[in-house]
Amino acid sequence: MTDDVFFAGISELNAQLKKREFSAVELVRAFAERLEKTGPRYNALALPLAEVALRRAKLVDEELKRERYRGPLQGIPFGAKDLLSFAGHPTTWGAKPYASQIFDETATVLKKLDKTGSVLIGKLAMVELAGGPYYRTASASLFGPGLNPWDRTRWSGGSSSGSASAVAAGLVPFALGSETSGSIVTPSAYCGITGLRPTYGLVSRHGAMPLSWTMDKIGPMCRSAEDCGLVLQTIAGSDAADAGSAGKSFYYTPQFARKLSDIKVGFAAADPDAAEPAARLAFEQAMGVVRESGVQMVEAKLPDFPYGALTGTVISAEGSSVFEELIASGGVNELEDAYQIEGLKAGLGIPARDYLKAMRIRSLVKQKFRELFADIDVLVAPARYGVATRIAEPLGGGGAVAGNAGDMRSLIPAGNLAGLPALAFPCGFADNLPVGLQLVGPAFSENTLLALGRDFQNRTDWHKRRPPAA
Amino acid sequence: MKLSRRELAGALIAGTALPAPAQNPPAAAAVQDAADALRRNSEALARFELPQSTEPAFQFRA
Repeated sequence: MTDDVFFAGISELNAQLKKREFSAVELVRAFAERLEKTGPRYNALALPLAEVALRRAKLVDEELKRERYRGPLQGIPFGAKDLLSFAGHPTTWGAKPYASQIFDETATVLKKLDKTGSVLIGKLAMVELAGGPYYRTASASLFGPGLNPWDRTRWSGGSSSGSASAVAAGLVPFALGSETSGSIVTPSAYCGITGLRPTYGLVSRHGAMPLSWTMDKIGPMCRSAEDCGLVLQTIAGSDAADAGSAGKSFYYTPQFARKLSDIKVGFAAADPDAAEPAARLAFEQAMGVVRESGVQMVEAKLPDFPYGALTGTVISAEGSSVFEELIASGGVNELEDAYQIEGLKAGLGIPARDYLKAMRIRSLVKQKFRELFADIDVLVAPARYGVATRIAEPLGGGGAVAGNAGDMRSLIPAGNLAGLPALAFPCGFADNLPVGLQLVGPAFSENTLLALGRDFQNRTDWHKRRPPAA
Repeated sequence: MKLSRRELAGALIAGTALPAPAQNPPAAAAVQDAADALRRNSEALARFELPQSTEPAFQFRA
């Protein structure tokens, strides 16, 4: 087995398994050993699960021998953010007060992946309690600062830190992450991988740590748009156990993708200049690649709302309510990040007036986005407007972009407030670090986002680049 | 300097020295920061005018 295996796509690995080039046990063992050996280099590993994984892989091999095929994820190892419960094993939520927490039940998404024969090889590190709008230091995690495989003096992004760095470094073929406001898009951009934030309600959160009931989403973090489509198809679907479930399924249908020339892509002309100087050229060139695909490019502007105040209020109020017991018991003081601790405490004092006002304004945000998407199919913008933060520097407010003007820099909080899907993918480099674009579309437009992402990746090779030490 | 076993293992695996991560502020500064953030959010929301008929963006299903 060569190192190329660690950077292969899901379909390629599955085809090799079917051709018996290697067994599921061999594949799982190779990835599990690599994850266990190299994961700590990036503070990416929360819990190795090699033993359980190898038992599962043996069963997959028996199925493959009988030619009982379950789909493209069969026999593919993966990692899951440590906010997803896996029965009988620790689920720490990245936080010291929950370091020995064990659930009896397995999260719906992990059960779904298990049914297709995909093999969980490890839990991946995360920002404590998935961060919210509070934390300001990269070290806000039980596992230490998430280190970026492209440069370990840089942050891997959060809160799905381990998921992103593990995929980037070839420690897992794909991972599950979660996003409340930026936690898939940001680490995907910083680590140079492809991440999909699904429409709110499309993927069950049953068995996942809640941070904000009205904003949490679980999604795939992979090497390519193609792989994101394959994973999303497996984990999406109605779940009566999730009160936010939209009751919808998702079928990845690249064969029925709309003609690109029929798609209107909205962009902000000022966007490249809004980026850090070192990243501007990469974004300009990437926008050129999008334009060359034949889509109709039209100028667009985000609806004007106080996005930072809205996400801050909603996530603070809901997150502090979720962790009310932790706060009351004093356990909150065991968290790593002082801003996180004080933010959670203060959030309990948010008046109903502010929370309800935020949720009422959120209704207008959704309405304005529906109007915007009546004329435009997709918005494109930098996923982050610069490269990964240095771990020695304070973070700019919980990893989420806070903005008050109606420009694309607010696309992360805006898209999350409206429950819209986003695809983040690598589009170039600045200062030897990856930068990415994000595509955002109306609710349940994942197939359109994936078609555009796939086209971009068919014409570029940024998603195939490997970090120097990997 | 005291190192936990995890930190020690991390340092050995890492091989090279990494810069120290950004440090926590004094507790009082974090308390003030949290209070300021909530106040700024509250003021921004108060300034925003919306039609009286606008309902909150959540659903309750009986």
